[in-house]
Amino acid sequence: MMVFTFRVFSSILMNELDHTSSEPVEGDNRPLSNARLAVLVLVAAEIMFFAGLIGTFLVFRLGSVTWPPPAQADVRLPIGVTGLNTIVLLLSGYTMLQGLRAIRHDRHKELKNWLCVTGILGVIFLAVQGSEWVRLVHHGFTLSSGVYGSVFYVLIGCHALHVLIAVLWLLAVFVRAIAGRFSMNHYVGVEVCAIYWAFVVVLWPLLYVLVYLI
Amino acid sequence: MMRRYFLLIVGVTVLALLIPAAVEACPSCKTIDDPIVQGFKWSILFLMAMPYIVSGLIGGGVFYVYYRAHRADNRKSPSNIKGV
Repeated sequence: MMVFTFRVFSSILMNELDHTSSEPVEGDNRPLSNARLAVLVLVAAEIMFFAGLIGTFLVFRLGSVTWPPPAQADVRLPIGVTGLNTIVLLLSGYTMLQGLRAIRHDRHKELKNWLCVTGILGVIFLAVQGSEWVRLVHHGFTLSSGVYGSVFYVLIGCHALHVLIAVLWLLAVFVRAIAGRFSMNHYVGVEVCAIYWAFVVVLWPLLYVLVYLI
Repeated sequence: MMRRYFLLIVGVTVLALLIPAAVEACPSCKTIDDPIVQGFKWSILFLMAMPYIVSGLIGGGVFYVYYRAHRADNRKSPSNIKGV
């Protein structure tokens, strides 16, 4: 999985570098570039990865008569704060979309602003998640707190890791946007980042409902 | 010969519909009231459906992008206009 992810990222980077260093090849008018297709395949692999985790969660959740299990009955997950955090992440999806629209209309300054706002919202999401985790660990709810702890930290932790990767990717795109590497005719770098960002944003409400609310 | 096979298939199908317990392959599925069995059942159904959903969504998306591009090309190309 890691090797595959690395290969996809490197292929996207190489593809992008190739396109920035030269004009598009004449006659190459494919509607879907290699970079976009690679990110779609990556997202498909990520969906299957999370499907496996959700499948495991369903076995434990539906398999137990009481949820949380009696041993962790006193654990209270931060439903309200995480609900607000969900809104923050959904908002970041909207701002990312606005950034993409901006570069499609060749509005460079707007692109930089929207990317910056998206990154800040992503960092806020991670910071709030991190602070809630610290609070839960202080209350004695850790990865080894039975099935409940394992399922919670693995599912939510994997998503947080993906958000972190998305933020780092966004940072790279932002740096390139400052350098003026994107234009109305060449914005594949922004687009593939937006696809990945959309994935982490769309996945989160599902995880929130499954883990926090049900 | 064909008629015999047809009757055999119909007979097995009717048997499966009338006595489902006789054709259940999974031994743990016999006790369907057990929560852990329910958990496994829904998890298996979910994981079974996912590859089709993912490939359907992404494959459908790719097909749509190509279809839209093809349609746009046809609109642009004057040779596709009748009488030209």
